[in-house]
Amino acid sequence: MKLSPMFVCGATLVAVWSLIALAAPLLATHDPYAIDFEALLAPPSADHWFGSDNVGRDTYSRVIYGSRLALYIGLLGVIAPMIIGMTIGLLAGYFGGWVDTIAMRVLDITVPFPFFVLVLSIVAVLGPGIENYFIALALVGWVGYARLARAEAIVLRSSEFVLAARTMGFSHPYILFRHVLPNAMSPVVVYMMTDVTLVILFGAALGFLGMGVSPPAAEWGVMIAEGQIYISSAWWISFFPGLAMVLIGVGFALMGDGLAKMLRIER
Amino acid sequence: MNPLLSVRNLFVRFGETLAVDDVSFDLPKGGALGIVGESGSGKSVTCRALMKLLPTTALAKGEINFDGQDILGASEATLNTLRGKRIAMIFQSPASHLDPLMRIGDQVAETLRKHTDLKGRAIHQEVLRLLDVVRIPEPERWAQAYPHQLSGGMKQRAMIAGALACKPDLLLADEPTTALDATVQKSVLDLLVDLRKSQGLSMIFVSHDLGAVARVCEDVIVMRKSRVVETGKTREVIDAPQHEYTQMLIASHPDRLTLHTPQPVPQATPLIEARGMQIRYGGGGLIDILTKRAGGFLAVKGADFTVQPGETLGIVGESGSGKSTMARALVGLVKPAAGEILFEGAPAKPLGRNRAAYLRDVQLVYQHPYEALSPRMRIRDAIAEPLRRHKLCPAQEVPARVADLMAQVDLDPTLGDRLPAQLSGGQCQRVAIARALAMDPRVLIADEVTSALDVTLQAQVMDLLIRLQKERGLTMIFISHDLAVIRRLCNSVIVMRRGEIVEAGPTGQVFDDPAQEYTRTLIDAIPRLEAAHP
Repeated sequence: MKLSPMFVCGATLVAVWSLIALAAPLLATHDPYAIDFEALLAPPSADHWFGSDNVGRDTYSRVIYGSRLALYIGLLGVIAPMIIGMTIGLLAGYFGGWVDTIAMRVLDITVPFPFFVLVLSIVAVLGPGIENYFIALALVGWVGYARLARAEAIVLRSSEFVLAARTMGFSHPYILFRHVLPNAMSPVVVYMMTDVTLVILFGAALGFLGMGVSPPAAEWGVMIAEGQIYISSAWWISFFPGLAMVLIGVGFALMGDGLAKMLRIER
Repeated sequence: MNPLLSVRNLFVRFGETLAVDDVSFDLPKGGALGIVGESGSGKSVTCRALMKLLPTTALAKGEINFDGQDILGASEATLNTLRGKRIAMIFQSPASHLDPLMRIGDQVAETLRKHTDLKGRAIHQEVLRLLDVVRIPEPERWAQAYPHQLSGGMKQRAMIAGALACKPDLLLADEPTTALDATVQKSVLDLLVDLRKSQGLSMIFVSHDLGAVARVCEDVIVMRKSRVVETGKTREVIDAPQHEYTQMLIASHPDRLTLHTPQPVPQATPLIEARGMQIRYGGGGLIDILTKRAGGFLAVKGADFTVQPGETLGIVGESGSGKSTMARALVGLVKPAAGEILFEGAPAKPLGRNRAAYLRDVQLVYQHPYEALSPRMRIRDAIAEPLRRHKLCPAQEVPARVADLMAQVDLDPTLGDRLPAQLSGGQCQRVAIARALAMDPRVLIADEVTSALDVTLQAQVMDLLIRLQKERGLTMIFISHDLAVIRRLCNSVIVMRRGEIVEAGPTGQVFDDPAQEYTRTLIDAIPRLEAAHP
């Protein structure tokens, strides 16, 4: 398999972010939670590379530590929706009939609501916090995966190699796992990459609205929210976490697009 | 006299690959030239180059002269005065070249409106005349129809009518009959022959089937791997091919293959017996239940047949005749609505709990070589899969068994680590056969296994099947729309039409003295090398 340049760019960005998250204590110049009344709203300087916020916390160190939360939310947030969505989608597409009918009606009920509105209302009911965000994602996010997996499974179930496996006397669970799943995987993996970006963004949006990670945590959404009242005088408080979010998002998106190219089987 | 079309030293290059390598030919006015070759031989690219309809990645060099006009050097504007108007083209799949939302009459009228001075009523009259020329019955009625309401043959006729709209001098036909059933193919070929006479049309006919070309064209060029290997009068090329490849091509034509008829082994109990088998698709919906009807569509309307151990039964029929459906019922992919299947006299249950035991005895090989193999599974694993899954041999013996099976189907052992996409169609078909053989079946059902292959590969796969049958004493059910293939392989034959068995009997008898008119039309439609244009 040839590496696509897009994938290499994206993977490099993601790898860099992962390293930053792992080595955060080494890279940070300050304690991200240390309040310093000597340096309130200090502009970027040799001491505070990205400046400091209204209580004197170092923005650079907070952005570095924030990458841990972002990756944690992004990667963990897509796992449950993917597993639930793939399972429902594959079963519905492969078996059809009433399994499909029920799964698709549930899906139809979920789809008309904007994704974020549903997540927001579920978090509002359950109460703020990352755990509740994950629960909301699992309840809503599976829809996209289920649709993709179902579409693939419908095509695959009548393909000759699946029929051939049937005529070899293999069982349905075996065929689903060994023949349908590997061939339905590639669009799902690609979608997952873009979904990571989305989950990170929505996680930050929840933090911004005060319904996700609660202050004073070093979380990019929370940081942007804290900086918004000073946006005209101390732009750096919101700008750097925003930039970090763009860079991590672009990384995953490029990786997804690159993967899509690479996973195609060429004759 | 100057030729209508003259091609000199044509080269077409796609990046690194040379698709057409130094091709030259002349076509006199009113002549017909066939271009024969297997897939990837460059015949279609040559044909498209004549109209300069090549993708932008292609680089064409050489000289194409059409009635004094240089084609390769011409501007798009000049070309557009030729395309459709003086040079028309028809394609393999009419379905994808007709606008599904436009009535047939309107599609033909569109060309007339663009390229001629005809107006209003005159256009309508001309459309009807053209539909009549291509022998579409009741032109008035069919002109109002949409493409999906037409059969494959009718669509191809409609496309030809559109191509003829501007009275072109040259018709380029790129595999126009390949996707059609034999009887329909024959009628379209007859139409082309007719049009040459009545309209004075010159023609270039591209096909992989020398038999089809022989029917229409008096001259032929044979292409292989981008090069012309032989040119000449069709009759002479068929009677006395000079090039080694042409000789092989002709020897592989089903018409020329030696008949293989092992003696049937009559026994008291047939190996497989079907009694009153009915297969229904769809139906059982709410409305069907309320109205107490069966609903749906009856694909097989009560079939009775027997297969003796060691014999090869052929099932022929055109598309939609229910032949594949019947095969699928034998391996439990569809459930018969009525009737029963007996295996060695006992009811067979290809759907039940113990279906694995039954399926070890009855195996099916599919039509499309690439699609029948899991695209992400290596060849070695694909062949080993049934062995491992059903524990047909001890785990440590699996690699040896796989190697043995690959040898049996003449597959190079080094191919084991490849993915299906890295193999040729013929190789994939061998893998599929090896996989079926891994189950050590007593009955092998081959569903159109040779249809997607070029003639030379087709001949090889047939030889393989004949050899395997001899070596293993296999019983075979061979399904095909190709009567020539059936005749070569089978002891007895069943002819199906619209879900019913219309004729059954020993192959020799059915072919030499068919009892049904339908069987006779099918046999007459086999493209024959002998029927070559004088």
